[in-house]
Amino acid sequence: MKKFMVPVVLLAAGAALCFAADPSKIKTIQGYADSDICARLMLGPISPERIECSQSTHKQGAAPQIVRLTDNLVFEVNKTKMLKDYVGKFVEATGEPKEKDGRIKLESVKEIDRPNIPPGAPGHELMDARNFRATGDRAKTFEKVRHELAMMPYISEFDFISFTMVGDDVILTGWTVRITNRSTAYNLVKNIEGVNRITNNIEVLPMGSFDMQIRAGARAALQRMLSRYFWGSGSDIKIIVKNGKIILLGRVATKADSDIANIQCNAVPNAFHVFNLLKVAPSEDKKKG
Amino acid sequence: MLTRGIDAFGSGLRRNCRIGFFVWLVALAGCTQEPKPGVESKPGESKSALRRVEPGKESGFLQDYSKLKPNEKLGGDALTYVNPDKMKSLHRYVAIIVDPVQVYVSTAADASLIPDSGRGAVAKYFEHALVGAVSDAFPVVDSPGPLVLRLRAALVGIDLGGKVAPLNDPAMTAKPMDRAIVLEKVSVEMELVDSETGERIAAAVDKATLGAGAEVGSENFSRIERYNEAKMAFDQWAGRVREFLDSEHELTGEDAERALQSYQPYGK
Repeated sequence: MKKFMVPVVLLAAGAALCFAADPSKIKTIQGYADSDICARLMLGPISPERIECSQSTHKQGAAPQIVRLTDNLVFEVNKTKMLKDYVGKFVEATGEPKEKDGRIKLESVKEIDRPNIPPGAPGHELMDARNFRATGDRAKTFEKVRHELAMMPYISEFDFISFTMVGDDVILTGWTVRITNRSTAYNLVKNIEGVNRITNNIEVLPMGSFDMQIRAGARAALQRMLSRYFWGSGSDIKIIVKNGKIILLGRVATKADSDIANIQCNAVPNAFHVFNLLKVAPSEDKKKG
Repeated sequence: MLTRGIDAFGSGLRRNCRIGFFVWLVALAGCTQEPKPGVESKPGESKSALRRVEPGKESGFLQDYSKLKPNEKLGGDALTYVNPDKMKSLHRYVAIIVDPVQVYVSTAADASLIPDSGRGAVAKYFEHALVGAVSDAFPVVDSPGPLVLRLRAALVGIDLGGKVAPLNDPAMTAKPMDRAIVLEKVSVEMELVDSETGERIAAAVDKATLGAGAEVGSENFSRIERYNEAKMAFDQWAGRVREFLDSEHELTGEDAERALQSYQPYGK
Protein backbone atom coordinates (compact mmCIF):
# COMPACT_ATOMS: atom_id res chain seq x y z
CA MET A 1 0.00 0.00 0.00
CA LYS A 2 2.82 2.39 1.00
CA LYS A 3 4.55 1.62 -2.28
CA PHE A 4 1.54 2.95 -4.13
CA MET A 5 1.05 5.98 -1.92
CA VAL A 6 4.49 7.50 -2.47
CA PRO A 7 4.21 7.89 -6.28
CA VAL A 8 0.61 9.06 -5.98
CA VAL A 9 1.54 11.78 -3.49
CA LEU A 10 4.52 12.77 -5.63
CA LEU A 11 2.32 12.88 -8.71
CA ALA A 12 -0.28 15.06 -6.97
CA ALA A 13 2.38 17.44 -5.66
CA GLY A 14 4.03 17.62 -9.09
CA ALA A 15 0.73 18.31 -10.80
CA ALA A 16 -0.14 21.06 -8.30
CA LEU A 17 3.25 22.70 -8.83
CA CYS A 18 3.11 22.44 -12.61
CA PHE A 19 -0.43 23.69 -13.10
CA ALA A 20 -0.41 26.54 -10.61
CA ALA A 21 -0.75 29.98 -12.21
CA ASP A 22 2.48 31.59 -13.32
CA PRO A 23 3.13 34.51 -10.91
CA SER A 24 4.72 36.64 -13.64
CA LYS A 25 1.51 36.55 -15.68
CA ILE A 26 -0.92 37.35 -12.87
CA LYS A 27 -2.97 40.47 -13.51
CA THR A 28 -5.92 42.18 -11.91
CA ILE A 29 -8.75 43.21 -14.20
CA GLN A 30 -11.92 45.16 -13.54
CA GLY A 31 -14.88 43.42 -15.05
CA TYR A 32 -18.54 42.66 -15.03
CA ALA A 33 -19.56 39.15 -13.96
CA ASP A 34 -21.98 38.03 -16.65
CA SER A 35 -23.59 34.81 -17.81
CA ASP A 36 -22.07 33.29 -20.96
CA ILE A 37 -25.32 33.95 -22.82
CA CYS A 38 -25.69 37.64 -22.00
CA ALA A 39 -21.97 38.27 -22.41
CA ARG A 40 -22.13 36.95 -25.99
CA LEU A 41 -25.38 38.68 -26.79
CA MET A 42 -23.90 41.99 -25.74
CA LEU A 43 -26.98 43.76 -24.62
CA GLY A 44 -25.00 46.98 -24.62
CA PRO A 45 -24.20 48.98 -21.53
CA ILE A 46 -24.45 47.50 -18.07
CA SER A 47 -28.06 48.55 -17.59
CA PRO A 48 -30.70 47.11 -15.23
CA GLU A 49 -32.00 45.02 -18.18
CA ARG A 50 -28.59 43.52 -18.75
CA ILE A 51 -28.13 42.76 -15.07
CA GLU A 52 -31.54 41.09 -15.12
CA CYS A 53 -30.50 39.03 -18.17
CA SER A 54 -27.22 38.02 -16.54
CA GLN A 55 -28.83 36.89 -13.32
CA SER A 56 -31.85 35.13 -14.79
CA THR A 57 -29.90 33.18 -17.41
CA HIS A 58 -27.28 32.26 -14.82
CA LYS A 59 -30.04 30.94 -12.54
CA GLN A 60 -31.25 28.82 -15.46
CA GLY A 61 -27.83 27.23 -15.82
CA ALA A 62 -25.72 29.55 -17.99
CA ALA A 63 -22.07 29.56 -16.91
CA PRO A 64 -20.61 32.73 -15.37
CA GLN A 65 -17.96 34.68 -17.28
CA ILE A 66 -16.11 37.96 -16.93
CA VAL A 67 -16.45 40.89 -19.33
CA ARG A 68 -13.38 43.11 -19.04
CA LEU A 69 -14.50 46.70 -18.73
CA THR A 70 -11.65 48.28 -20.68
CA ASP A 71 -12.43 46.56 -23.98
CA ASN A 72 -15.49 44.35 -23.46
CA LEU A 73 -13.47 41.18 -24.02
CA VAL A 74 -15.22 38.10 -22.64
CA PHE A 75 -13.20 35.69 -20.51
CA GLU A 76 -14.26 32.14 -19.73
CA VAL A 77 -13.17 31.30 -16.18
CA ASN A 78 -11.61 28.05 -14.97
CA LYS A 79 -13.34 28.18 -11.59
CA THR A 80 -16.98 29.07 -12.15
CA LYS A 81 -17.81 28.47 -8.47
CA MET A 82 -15.58 31.38 -7.53
CA LEU A 83 -17.62 33.74 -9.71
CA LYS A 84 -21.15 32.44 -9.33
CA ASP A 85 -22.10 34.70 -6.40
CA TYR A 86 -21.06 37.82 -8.28
CA VAL A 87 -23.10 37.45 -11.49
CA GLY A 88 -24.71 40.79 -12.33
CA LYS A 89 -22.09 42.69 -10.32
CA PHE A 90 -18.84 44.53 -10.97
CA VAL A 91 -15.77 42.66 -9.84
CA GLU A 92 -12.03 42.90 -9.58
CA ALA A 93 -10.63 39.57 -10.69
CA THR A 94 -7.04 38.49 -10.18
CA GLY A 95 -5.63 35.69 -12.28
CA GLU A 96 -3.78 34.71 -15.43
CA PRO A 97 -5.73 36.09 -18.41
CA LYS A 98 -5.14 34.70 -21.90
CA GLU A 99 -6.57 37.21 -24.35
CA LYS A 100 -6.07 34.99 -27.40
CA ASP A 101 -8.13 32.13 -26.00
CA GLY A 102 -10.55 34.34 -24.06
CA ARG A 103 -9.83 32.49 -20.81
CA ILE A 104 -8.68 33.48 -17.36
CA LYS A 105 -7.20 31.26 -14.68
CA LEU A 106 -8.77 32.80 -11.59
CA GLU A 107 -6.92 33.33 -8.33
CA SER A 108 -9.37 35.60 -6.52
CA VAL A 109 -12.49 37.68 -7.11
CA LYS A 110 -13.93 40.55 -5.10
CA GLU A 111 -16.91 42.78 -5.68
CA ILE A 112 -16.37 46.46 -6.44
CA ASP A 113 -18.77 49.36 -6.43
CA ARG A 114 -19.79 51.16 -9.59
CA PRO A 115 -18.43 54.51 -8.28
CA ASN A 116 -14.97 52.94 -8.06
CA ILE A 117 -14.73 53.30 -11.82
CA PRO A 118 -14.45 57.07 -12.27
CA PRO A 119 -15.74 58.90 -15.37
CA GLY A 120 -12.99 59.09 -17.97
CA ALA A 121 -11.44 55.77 -16.91
CA PRO A 122 -11.29 53.28 -19.81
CA GLY A 123 -13.85 50.95 -18.24
CA HIS A 124 -16.39 53.65 -17.54
CA GLU A 125 -17.82 53.84 -21.05
CA LEU A 126 -19.37 50.40 -20.70
CA MET A 127 -21.71 51.80 -18.08
CA ASP A 128 -22.89 54.76 -20.12
CA ALA A 129 -25.75 53.99 -22.50
CA ARG A 130 -24.98 57.14 -24.54
CA ASN A 131 -21.81 55.50 -25.87
CA PHE A 132 -23.87 52.81 -27.57
CA ARG A 133 -26.02 55.12 -29.71
CA ALA A 134 -24.85 55.36 -33.30
CA THR A 135 -25.75 58.72 -34.84
CA GLY A 136 -24.58 60.69 -37.91
CA ASP A 137 -21.55 59.09 -39.60
CA ARG A 138 -21.51 56.37 -36.99
CA ALA A 139 -25.04 55.37 -38.01
CA LYS A 140 -23.75 54.90 -41.57
CA THR A 141 -20.85 52.82 -40.31
CA PHE A 142 -23.29 50.80 -38.21
CA GLU A 143 -25.40 50.06 -41.30
CA LYS A 144 -22.31 49.05 -43.31
CA VAL A 145 -21.26 46.64 -40.56
CA ARG A 146 -24.79 45.22 -40.43
CA HIS A 147 -24.83 44.76 -44.21
CA GLU A 148 -21.45 43.00 -44.32
CA LEU A 149 -22.34 40.62 -41.51
CA ALA A 150 -25.78 39.87 -42.98
CA MET A 151 -24.20 38.88 -46.32
CA MET A 152 -21.68 36.43 -44.90
CA PRO A 153 -22.00 33.27 -47.01
CA TYR A 154 -21.42 30.47 -44.54
CA ILE A 155 -23.94 31.54 -41.90
CA SER A 156 -26.48 28.85 -41.07
CA GLU A 157 -29.38 28.52 -38.63
CA PHE A 158 -26.76 27.42 -36.11
CA ASP A 159 -24.73 30.64 -36.17
CA PHE A 160 -25.60 33.95 -34.61
CA ILE A 161 -23.21 36.83 -35.09
CA SER A 162 -24.12 40.12 -33.48
CA PHE A 163 -22.28 43.37 -32.92
CA THR A 164 -22.50 46.65 -31.16
CA MET A 165 -20.66 49.92 -31.52
CA VAL A 166 -19.09 51.90 -28.72
CA GLY A 167 -17.99 55.13 -30.37
CA ASP A 168 -15.90 54.01 -33.37
CA ASP A 169 -15.09 50.65 -31.82
CA VAL A 170 -16.97 47.53 -32.86
CA ILE A 171 -17.61 44.60 -30.55
CA LEU A 172 -18.37 41.38 -32.38
CA THR A 173 -20.27 38.80 -30.39
CA GLY A 174 -22.19 35.58 -30.85
CA TRP A 175 -21.60 31.94 -31.63
CA THR A 176 -20.64 30.03 -34.73
CA VAL A 177 -20.10 26.41 -35.70
CA ARG A 178 -17.48 27.36 -38.30
CA ILE A 179 -14.17 28.69 -37.12
CA THR A 180 -13.78 30.60 -40.39
CA ASN A 181 -16.83 32.76 -39.61
CA ARG A 182 -15.01 34.24 -36.63
CA SER A 183 -12.11 35.48 -38.72
CA THR A 184 -14.27 36.36 -41.74
CA ALA A 185 -16.47 38.63 -39.61
CA TYR A 186 -13.39 40.29 -38.16
CA ASN A 187 -11.79 40.83 -41.58
CA LEU A 188 -14.99 42.19 -43.14
CA VAL A 189 -15.50 44.72 -40.35
CA LYS A 190 -11.82 45.66 -40.27
CA ASN A 191 -12.05 46.96 -43.83
CA ILE A 192 -15.02 49.25 -43.18
CA GLU A 193 -14.20 52.93 -43.11
CA GLY A 194 -14.87 54.53 -39.76
CA VAL A 195 -14.20 51.43 -37.69
CA ASN A 196 -11.42 51.87 -35.17
CA ARG A 197 -10.83 48.96 -32.79
CA ILE A 198 -12.53 45.56 -32.99
CA THR A 199 -13.09 43.25 -30.05
CA ASN A 200 -13.89 39.76 -31.26
CA ASN A 201 -16.06 37.88 -28.76
CA ILE A 202 -17.46 35.39 -31.29
CA GLU A 203 -17.27 31.94 -29.76
CA VAL A 204 -16.66 28.85 -31.88
CA LEU A 205 -19.04 26.12 -30.75
CA PRO A 206 -18.04 22.50 -30.11
CA MET A 207 -19.06 20.02 -32.82
CA GLY A 208 -19.67 17.01 -30.57
CA SER A 209 -22.08 14.40 -31.85
CA PHE A 210 -24.64 15.08 -29.10
CA ASP A 211 -24.77 18.77 -29.96
CA MET A 212 -25.02 17.91 -33.67
CA GLN A 213 -27.99 15.63 -32.97
CA ILE A 214 -29.64 18.37 -30.93
CA ARG A 215 -29.08 20.90 -33.73
CA ALA A 216 -30.61 18.59 -36.32
CA GLY A 217 -33.50 17.67 -34.01
CA ALA A 218 -34.28 21.28 -33.11
CA ARG A 219 -34.19 22.44 -36.72
CA ALA A 220 -36.43 19.61 -37.86
CA ALA A 221 -38.93 20.32 -35.07
CA LEU A 222 -39.01 24.05 -35.73
CA GLN A 223 -39.23 23.65 -39.47
CA ARG A 224 -42.16 21.30 -39.06
CA MET A 225 -44.15 23.76 -36.95
CA LEU A 226 -42.80 27.16 -37.98
CA SER A 227 -41.72 26.66 -41.59
CA ARG A 228 -42.46 30.25 -42.59
CA TYR A 229 -39.42 31.45 -40.66
CA PHE A 230 -37.08 29.25 -42.73
CA TRP A 231 -36.02 29.96 -46.28
CA GLY A 232 -33.54 28.55 -48.81
CA SER A 233 -30.26 29.39 -47.15
CA GLY A 234 -31.19 30.69 -43.74
CA SER A 235 -33.83 31.42 -41.17
CA ASP A 236 -35.25 34.12 -38.91
CA ILE A 237 -34.83 31.77 -35.96
CA LYS A 238 -31.32 30.95 -34.83
CA ILE A 239 -30.62 27.73 -32.95
CA ILE A 240 -27.47 27.93 -30.87
CA VAL A 241 -26.49 24.66 -29.24
CA LYS A 242 -23.69 24.49 -26.70
CA ASN A 243 -23.04 21.48 -24.51
CA GLY A 244 -26.64 20.29 -24.63
CA LYS A 245 -28.19 23.71 -24.06
CA ILE A 246 -30.29 25.38 -26.76
CA ILE A 247 -30.43 29.16 -27.11
CA LEU A 248 -33.20 30.41 -29.39
CA LEU A 249 -32.57 33.79 -30.95
CA GLY A 250 -34.08 35.95 -33.66
CA ARG A 251 -37.52 37.32 -34.30
CA VAL A 252 -40.94 35.80 -34.62
CA ALA A 253 -44.24 37.49 -35.34
CA THR A 254 -46.28 36.40 -32.33
CA LYS A 255 -45.89 35.27 -28.75
CA ALA A 256 -47.62 32.05 -29.74
CA ASP A 257 -44.84 31.29 -32.25
CA SER A 258 -42.25 31.94 -29.57
CA ASP A 259 -44.02 29.52 -27.23
CA ILE A 260 -44.32 26.88 -29.95
CA ALA A 261 -40.57 27.17 -30.61
CA ASN A 262 -39.88 26.77 -26.91
CA ILE A 263 -42.10 23.70 -26.56
CA GLN A 264 -40.68 22.07 -29.70
CA CYS A 265 -37.08 22.56 -28.59
CA ASN A 266 -37.80 21.31 -25.08
CA ALA A 267 -38.92 18.04 -26.65
CA VAL A 268 -35.65 17.54 -28.56
CA PRO A 269 -33.87 14.41 -27.25
CA ASN A 270 -30.71 15.08 -25.21
CA ALA A 271 -31.35 18.82 -24.86
CA PHE A 272 -30.83 19.83 -21.21
CA HIS A 273 -32.32 23.27 -21.27
CA VAL A 274 -33.82 25.81 -23.67
CA PHE A 275 -33.11 29.51 -23.28
CA ASN A 276 -35.87 31.14 -25.26
CA LEU A 277 -34.59 34.60 -26.20
CA LEU A 278 -36.77 34.99 -29.28
CA LYS A 279 -38.07 38.50 -29.75
CA VAL A 280 -41.64 39.06 -30.75
CA ALA A 281 -41.76 41.63 -33.51
CA PRO A 282 -44.92 41.85 -35.61
CA SER A 283 -44.28 41.52 -39.33
CA GLU A 284 -44.47 44.55 -41.63
CA ASP A 285 -47.84 43.40 -43.02
CA LYS A 286 -49.32 43.29 -39.55
CA LYS A 287 -47.96 46.73 -38.69
CA LYS A 288 -49.56 48.16 -41.82
CA GLY A 289 -52.82 46.40 -41.11
CA MET B 1 16.48 43.14 -12.70
CA LEU B 2 17.25 40.18 -10.50
CA THR B 3 13.57 39.52 -9.74
CA ARG B 4 12.72 39.72 -13.44
CA GLY B 5 15.42 37.15 -14.14
CA ILE B 6 14.10 34.90 -11.42
CA ASP B 7 10.56 35.30 -12.82
CA ALA B 8 11.72 34.37 -16.34
CA PHE B 9 13.64 31.42 -14.97
CA GLY B 10 10.58 30.34 -12.96
CA SER B 11 8.35 30.71 -16.01
CA GLY B 12 10.68 28.57 -18.16
CA LEU B 13 10.98 25.98 -15.43
CA ARG B 14 7.20 25.80 -15.13
CA ARG B 15 6.77 25.35 -18.89
CA ASN B 16 9.37 22.57 -19.00
CA CYS B 17 7.82 21.03 -15.95
CA ARG B 18 4.38 20.93 -17.65
CA ILE B 19 5.82 19.36 -20.80
CA GLY B 20 7.71 16.84 -18.68
CA PHE B 21 4.57 16.04 -16.76
CA PHE B 22 2.63 15.27 -19.94
CA VAL B 23 5.48 13.19 -21.36
CA TRP B 24 5.56 11.23 -18.13
CA LEU B 25 1.78 10.66 -18.22
CA VAL B 26 1.91 9.52 -21.85
CA ALA B 27 4.81 7.20 -21.09
CA LEU B 28 2.89 5.78 -18.14
CA ALA B 29 -0.18 5.22 -20.31
CA GLY B 30 2.00 3.53 -22.94
CA CYS B 31 3.51 1.16 -20.37
CA THR B 32 0.13 -0.08 -19.24
CA GLN B 33 -1.08 -0.94 -22.74
CA GLU B 34 -1.01 -4.53 -23.92
CA PRO B 35 0.80 -5.05 -27.24
CA LYS B 36 -1.61 -5.80 -30.09
CA PRO B 37 -0.65 -9.04 -31.78
CA GLY B 38 -0.69 -9.82 -35.45
CA VAL B 39 -1.34 -6.37 -37.00
CA GLU B 40 1.27 -5.43 -39.52
CA SER B 41 1.07 -2.85 -42.25
CA LYS B 42 3.60 -1.53 -44.67
CA PRO B 43 3.68 2.25 -44.88
CA GLY B 44 2.35 3.68 -48.14
CA GLU B 45 0.79 0.45 -49.24
CA SER B 46 -2.66 0.79 -50.73
CA LYS B 47 -5.04 -2.10 -50.29
CA SER B 48 -7.48 -0.85 -52.92
CA ALA B 49 -8.18 -2.87 -56.03
CA LEU B 50 -7.02 -1.46 -59.36
CA ARG B 51 -9.68 0.60 -61.11
CA ARG B 52 -9.46 1.24 -64.84
CA VAL B 53 -11.05 3.85 -67.07
CA GLU B 54 -11.03 4.29 -70.83
CA PRO B 55 -9.42 7.57 -71.90
CA GLY B 56 -11.98 10.39 -72.10
CA LYS B 57 -14.80 8.29 -70.60
CA GLU B 58 -16.60 8.59 -67.29
CA SER B 59 -15.28 6.29 -64.61
CA GLY B 60 -18.58 5.18 -63.11
CA PHE B 61 -17.47 6.56 -59.74
CA LEU B 62 -20.46 8.91 -59.49
CA GLN B 63 -23.97 7.58 -58.83
CA ASP B 64 -25.35 9.41 -61.87
CA TYR B 65 -23.83 11.53 -64.64
CA SER B 66 -27.02 12.43 -66.47
CA LYS B 67 -27.91 15.46 -64.34
CA LEU B 68 -24.54 17.19 -64.53
CA LYS B 69 -24.65 20.57 -66.28
CA PRO B 70 -21.85 22.93 -67.37
CA ASN B 71 -21.01 25.40 -64.61
CA GLU B 72 -20.15 28.83 -65.97
CA LYS B 73 -18.72 30.03 -62.67
CA LEU B 74 -16.05 27.32 -62.82
CA GLY B 75 -15.45 27.56 -66.55
CA GLY B 76 -16.46 25.28 -69.39
CA ASP B 77 -14.49 22.28 -68.14
CA ALA B 78 -16.62 21.72 -65.10
CA LEU B 79 -19.96 19.95 -64.97
CA THR B 80 -21.86 20.23 -61.72
CA TYR B 81 -25.07 19.16 -60.07
CA VAL B 82 -26.84 20.53 -57.02
CA ASN B 83 -29.85 18.82 -55.48
CA PRO B 84 -32.83 21.07 -56.33
CA ASP B 85 -34.73 20.06 -53.18
CA LYS B 86 -34.22 22.89 -50.67
CA MET B 87 -34.51 20.43 -47.82
CA LYS B 88 -31.44 18.67 -49.21
CA SER B 89 -29.29 21.67 -50.04
CA LEU B 90 -25.66 22.22 -49.14
CA HIS B 91 -26.77 24.93 -46.72
CA ARG B 92 -28.27 22.32 -44.44
CA TYR B 93 -24.88 20.83 -43.58
CA VAL B 94 -22.22 22.18 -41.28
CA ALA B 95 -19.46 19.56 -41.24
CA ILE B 96 -17.80 17.13 -43.63
CA ILE B 97 -16.07 13.78 -43.79
CA VAL B 98 -13.44 13.46 -46.51
CA ASP B 99 -13.26 9.88 -47.79
CA PRO B 100 -9.99 8.39 -49.07
CA VAL B 101 -9.55 9.41 -52.71
CA GLN B 102 -9.98 6.73 -55.36
CA VAL B 103 -7.65 6.53 -58.34
CA TYR B 104 -8.61 5.27 -61.80
CA VAL B 105 -5.81 4.24 -64.12
CA SER B 106 -6.16 4.84 -67.85
CA THR B 107 -6.67 1.62 -69.83
CA ALA B 108 -3.96 2.87 -72.17
CA ALA B 109 -1.38 2.31 -69.43
CA ASP B 110 0.25 -0.96 -68.41
CA ALA B 111 -1.16 -1.14 -64.89
CA SER B 112 1.43 -3.63 -63.73
CA LEU B 113 4.04 -0.86 -63.95
CA ILE B 114 2.14 1.42 -61.58
CA PRO B 115 2.74 0.20 -58.04
CA ASP B 116 -0.01 0.32 -55.41
CA SER B 117 2.20 2.58 -53.31
CA GLY B 118 2.47 5.11 -56.15
CA ARG B 119 -1.30 5.30 -56.55
CA GLY B 120 -1.58 5.50 -52.77
CA ALA B 121 0.80 8.46 -52.63
CA VAL B 122 -1.15 10.35 -55.29
CA ALA B 123 -4.47 9.62 -53.57
CA LYS B 124 -3.10 10.64 -50.17
CA TYR B 125 -1.81 13.95 -51.43
CA PHE B 126 -5.07 14.85 -53.14
CA GLU B 127 -7.02 13.91 -50.01
CA HIS B 128 -4.72 16.16 -48.01
CA ALA B 129 -5.29 18.99 -50.53
CA LEU B 130 -9.06 18.52 -50.36
CA VAL B 131 -9.07 18.65 -46.56
CA GLY B 132 -7.01 21.85 -46.70
CA ALA B 133 -9.35 23.42 -49.23
CA VAL B 134 -12.69 22.68 -47.56
CA SER B 135 -11.93 22.52 -43.85
CA ASP B 136 -12.44 26.16 -42.99
CA ALA B 137 -15.83 26.19 -44.71
CA PHE B 138 -16.92 22.79 -43.42
CA PRO B 139 -15.12 21.56 -40.30
CA VAL B 140 -13.74 18.08 -41.02
CA VAL B 141 -15.08 15.37 -38.69
CA ASP B 142 -14.36 11.64 -38.43
CA SER B 143 -17.75 10.05 -38.15
CA PRO B 144 -21.05 10.33 -39.99
CA GLY B 145 -24.02 12.00 -38.34
CA PRO B 146 -26.72 14.58 -38.77
CA LEU B 147 -25.65 17.77 -40.61
CA VAL B 148 -22.52 15.98 -41.85
CA LEU B 149 -21.67 15.65 -45.53
CA ARG B 150 -19.45 12.98 -47.02
CA LEU B 151 -17.04 14.08 -49.74
CA ARG B 152 -16.16 11.31 -52.16
CA ALA B 153 -13.56 12.12 -54.77
CA ALA B 154 -11.69 10.31 -57.53
CA LEU B 155 -8.73 11.09 -59.72
CA VAL B 156 -9.63 9.67 -63.09
CA GLY B 157 -7.23 8.67 -65.86
CA ILE B 158 -3.73 8.61 -64.42
CA ASP B 159 -1.25 7.34 -66.97
CA LEU B 160 2.24 5.88 -67.15
CA GLY B 161 5.26 8.04 -67.97
CA GLY B 162 8.90 7.42 -68.73
CA LYS B 163 11.60 5.84 -66.57
CA VAL B 164 12.46 7.75 -63.43
CA ALA B 165 16.14 8.68 -63.24
CA PRO B 166 17.70 7.67 -59.92
CA LEU B 167 18.68 10.51 -57.59
CA ASN B 168 22.14 10.29 -56.11
CA ASP B 169 21.22 12.06 -52.92
CA PRO B 170 21.83 9.95 -49.81
CA ALA B 171 19.75 12.37 -47.73
CA MET B 172 16.66 11.68 -49.84
CA THR B 173 14.49 9.12 -48.07
CA ALA B 174 11.76 9.10 -50.74
CA LYS B 175 11.61 5.83 -52.62
CA PRO B 176 11.62 6.46 -56.38
CA MET B 177 9.24 4.51 -58.64
CA ASP B 178 10.48 2.75 -61.78
CA ARG B 179 8.13 4.70 -64.04
CA ALA B 180 6.53 8.10 -63.41
CA ILE B 181 2.80 8.68 -63.02
CA VAL B 182 1.52 11.20 -65.58
CA LEU B 183 -1.36 13.53 -64.78
CA GLU B 184 -1.76 14.96 -68.30
CA LYS B 185 -5.30 13.69 -68.92
CA VAL B 186 -6.50 13.41 -65.36
CA SER B 187 -9.92 14.72 -64.41
CA VAL B 188 -11.56 14.92 -61.00
CA GLU B 189 -14.93 13.46 -60.12
CA MET B 190 -16.47 14.28 -56.78
CA GLU B 191 -19.72 13.87 -54.99
CA LEU B 192 -21.14 15.25 -51.75
CA VAL B 193 -23.61 12.90 -50.14
CA ASP B 194 -25.53 12.90 -46.89
CA SER B 195 -23.29 10.99 -44.47
CA GLU B 196 -26.24 9.15 -42.93
CA THR B 197 -28.49 8.36 -45.89
CA GLY B 198 -25.99 8.43 -48.77
CA GLU B 199 -28.32 10.66 -50.74
CA ARG B 200 -26.58 12.87 -53.29
CA ILE B 201 -26.50 16.57 -52.40
CA ALA B 202 -24.06 17.86 -55.03
CA ALA B 203 -21.61 16.51 -57.58
CA ALA B 204 -19.00 17.72 -60.04
CA VAL B 205 -16.80 16.45 -62.82
CA ASP B 206 -13.83 18.73 -63.42
CA LYS B 207 -12.03 18.16 -66.70
CA ALA B 208 -9.76 21.19 -66.42
CA THR B 209 -6.35 20.08 -67.70
CA LEU B 210 -4.47 21.26 -64.68
CA GLY B 211 -2.14 18.29 -64.69
CA ALA B 212 -0.58 19.03 -68.10
CA GLY B 213 3.17 18.47 -67.83
CA ALA B 214 2.97 17.25 -64.24
CA GLU B 215 4.58 13.95 -63.24
CA VAL B 216 4.97 12.02 -60.03
CA GLY B 217 8.06 9.84 -59.79
CA SER B 218 8.34 9.05 -56.12
CA GLU B 219 6.24 7.46 -53.44
CA ASN B 220 6.96 10.44 -51.23
CA PHE B 221 6.76 13.13 -53.84
CA SER B 222 5.99 15.92 -51.43
CA ARG B 223 9.70 16.04 -50.56
CA ILE B 224 10.99 16.38 -54.07
CA GLU B 225 11.00 19.83 -55.63
CA ARG B 226 10.72 18.87 -59.25
CA TYR B 227 7.27 17.42 -58.76
CA ASN B 228 5.91 20.74 -57.61
CA GLU B 229 3.78 20.99 -60.71
CA ALA B 230 1.91 17.86 -59.68
CA LYS B 231 1.33 19.26 -56.21
CA MET B 232 0.12 22.51 -57.71
CA ALA B 233 -2.30 20.65 -59.95
CA PHE B 234 -3.77 18.76 -56.97
CA ASP B 235 -4.04 21.97 -54.96
CA GLN B 236 -5.80 23.70 -57.86
CA TRP B 237 -8.27 20.85 -58.35
CA ALA B 238 -9.01 20.96 -54.62
CA GLY B 239 -9.32 24.74 -54.82
CA ARG B 240 -11.94 24.38 -57.54
CA VAL B 241 -13.96 22.05 -55.32
CA ARG B 242 -13.91 24.84 -52.71
CA GLU B 243 -14.86 27.41 -55.38
CA PHE B 244 -17.86 25.27 -56.22
CA LEU B 245 -18.91 25.18 -52.55
CA ASP B 246 -18.39 28.93 -52.21
CA SER B 247 -20.45 29.70 -55.30
CA GLU B 248 -23.30 27.61 -53.92
CA HIS B 249 -23.16 29.50 -50.62
CA GLU B 250 -23.14 32.97 -52.13
CA LEU B 251 -26.29 34.83 -51.17
CA THR B 252 -28.17 36.09 -54.22
CA GLY B 253 -31.62 37.34 -55.19
CA GLU B 254 -34.41 36.60 -52.77
CA ASP B 255 -32.12 34.85 -50.30
CA ALA B 256 -29.87 37.90 -50.06
CA GLU B 257 -32.84 40.20 -49.56
CA ARG B 258 -34.33 37.99 -46.88
CA ALA B 259 -30.99 37.63 -45.08
CA LEU B 260 -30.48 41.39 -45.07
CA GLN B 261 -33.99 42.03 -43.84
CA SER B 262 -33.78 39.36 -41.16
CA TYR B 263 -30.38 40.26 -39.78
CA GLN B 264 -30.54 42.53 -36.76
CA PRO B 265 -27.91 42.63 -34.08
CA TYR B 266 -29.32 41.59 -30.74
CA GLY B 267 -31.07 44.38 -28.89
CA LYS B 268 -31.91 46.39 -32.01
